[in-house]
Amino acid sequence: MALELTIENIDAGYGAVRALQGVSMHVGNGETAALLGTNGNGKSTLMKCVMGMVRPTRGTLMLTIDGVEHDLTKLSTEEIVNIGVAMVPEGRRLFPRLTVEENLLLGAFRPQARAEIAKNASFCYEAFPLLKERRRQLAGSMSGGQQQMLAIARALMSSPKLLLVDEPSVGLAPILVSQTITKIKELKEQYGLTVLMAEQNFHQAIRIADRGYIIVHGEIVFDGNVAELEKNDLVKNYYLGTAA
Amino acid sequence: MDLLLDAIVLGLLVGCFYAAVSVGLSVAFGLLDVPHIAHPAFLVLGAYGTYMLNRMGWDPILAGVALMPAFMLLGIAVYRFYYETFERRGSDAGLRGLAFFFGVVFIVEVGLVMVFGVDQRLVEAPYIGKSLAVGDMRLPLRLLVAFAMALVLTIGLSLYLSKTFTGRAIKAVAQDETALRLMGANPVRIKQWAFGIATAVTGLAGALLIIVGPVEPTIDRVYIGRTFCVVVLAGLGSMSGTLVAGIILGISESIVLTLLGASWAPAVSFGLLLVMLGIRPQGLFGR
Ligand SMILES: Nc1ncnc2c1ncn2[C@@H]1O[C@H](COP(=O)(O)OP(=O)(O)O)[C@@H](O)[C@H]1O
Ligand SMILES: [Mg+2]
Repeated sequence: MALELTIENIDAGYGAVRALQGVSMHVGNGETAALLGTNGNGKSTLMKCVMGMVRPTRGTLMLTIDGVEHDLTKLSTEEIVNIGVAMVPEGRRLFPRLTVEENLLLGAFRPQARAEIAKNASFCYEAFPLLKERRRQLAGSMSGGQQQMLAIARALMSSPKLLLVDEPSVGLAPILVSQTITKIKELKEQYGLTVLMAEQNFHQAIRIADRGYIIVHGEIVFDGNVAELEKNDLVKNYYLGTAA
Repeated sequence: MDLLLDAIVLGLLVGCFYAAVSVGLSVAFGLLDVPHIAHPAFLVLGAYGTYMLNRMGWDPILAGVALMPAFMLLGIAVYRFYYETFERRGSDAGLRGLAFFFGVVFIVEVGLVMVFGVDQRLVEAPYIGKSLAVGDMRLPLRLLVAFAMALVLTIGLSLYLSKTFTGRAIKAVAQDETALRLMGANPVRIKQWAFGIATAVTGLAGALLIIVGPVEPTIDRVYIGRTFCVVVLAGLGSMSGTLVAGIILGISESIVLTLLGASWAPAVSFGLLLVMLGIRPQGLFGR
């Protein structure tokens, strides 16, 4: 069960807008990598590149799972999901007029996940008891925190090996932010996942991250393990506003 | 009073038939957001297909079932064309799509007139022309057969949509295509398949149409009002709602027919449609 995501020197954008420039990253098996940056710096664009939703104009994106190497720049989003990558997208993107249960079952659409549906569903209901209680409720009628839980649970229903989470804390009350981040860590450990998480909330993200990447205007300006991040001047400057 | 009871019972039977002729549209328009005004024309095409097979000695129901694969392919081809030329280009797809389907209606109507002429056509079967006595009422057997088939069709489609992976993806596709892609499903393929299923079901419903009464090439025009009324009344895309809405329309038409006369009946569907859009645009069972 070895997994490795290697991103090398990618450029990407939207027409004339350059969103990523020469981005490289490496996420190892079982790691939690945090992609840190404020609004509009390219976090979501990088996640979309990994999912095949935005095509890089340069560079390589390779994912190795159990010794098989996949070139993500050549695969469609559906194919990428099928090899075991799931994303909790920015804004959650649930199916609002379907029930909680229907949303979860859609998470298990890919053939491999269908076989594990009972196991995954009971796991999700155990991790998020509230979802079980509300399984007949429409997804769109739930609160932001509950929707975030459902979005994460839905992604887990696909039996992923690599989980991408785009800004899980957005729009949540502070207490929920901390709970959600902790939950991601627990799930990662129980499921044996590798996680790539985009976050603006530096302090919450590095609580569970092994490694952090700071992205500014589409470029990775610093990367290191958590201890290195916390004592780095640039980070202090950027996030903590200490140095002037 | 007896007259009214008769009207209600007949309305119930006819109403289930209305549901059956509308479920295809409920998928195409209600779930996929395709402005499929050619739906009733496909229904009539199914009726003529049944007529042809019936002349070769086939039972009309069997004929309807046999038409389904061909209609499935027709639906897939029409959707593919619609997607490539209109939907994919975005913004004004709705309006231009409407024009496209209007063209399809025209082609089907003219084609049927050229092949079959403008005369009414009907089918023969042991259950057509007989009736069943229930108490004082006489229920035409052809209506009972259509009623039973309508239940099977509507419930079957409803189960397909809620119990299968593809069915659930069909329900989700118009809500968020990007999210569906993240579930590992290709939205265009899902829509194409769904449109195929909707058209196949419409082919079979066309058999019911010609079982219930004679058809002529432009009878689709009467069913534009009825089918859109049922789909909107139900709440877009709700299958169980379609059954209830069909029954409401059936009973209303039947009562109006009894009390005010036949010339008012066609106004009922448009009337219900307008009232519903006015007071509860999401329909009875809309979410
Ligand atoms: N669909 C789009 N079309 C054009 N520009 C976009 C689009 N999405 C994002 N951008 C631009 O790309 C840059 C990076 O955006 P994004 O990746 O969403 O950042 P983040 O997720 O860090 O907030 C921003 O300048 C943003 O305005
Ligand atoms: Mg973002």
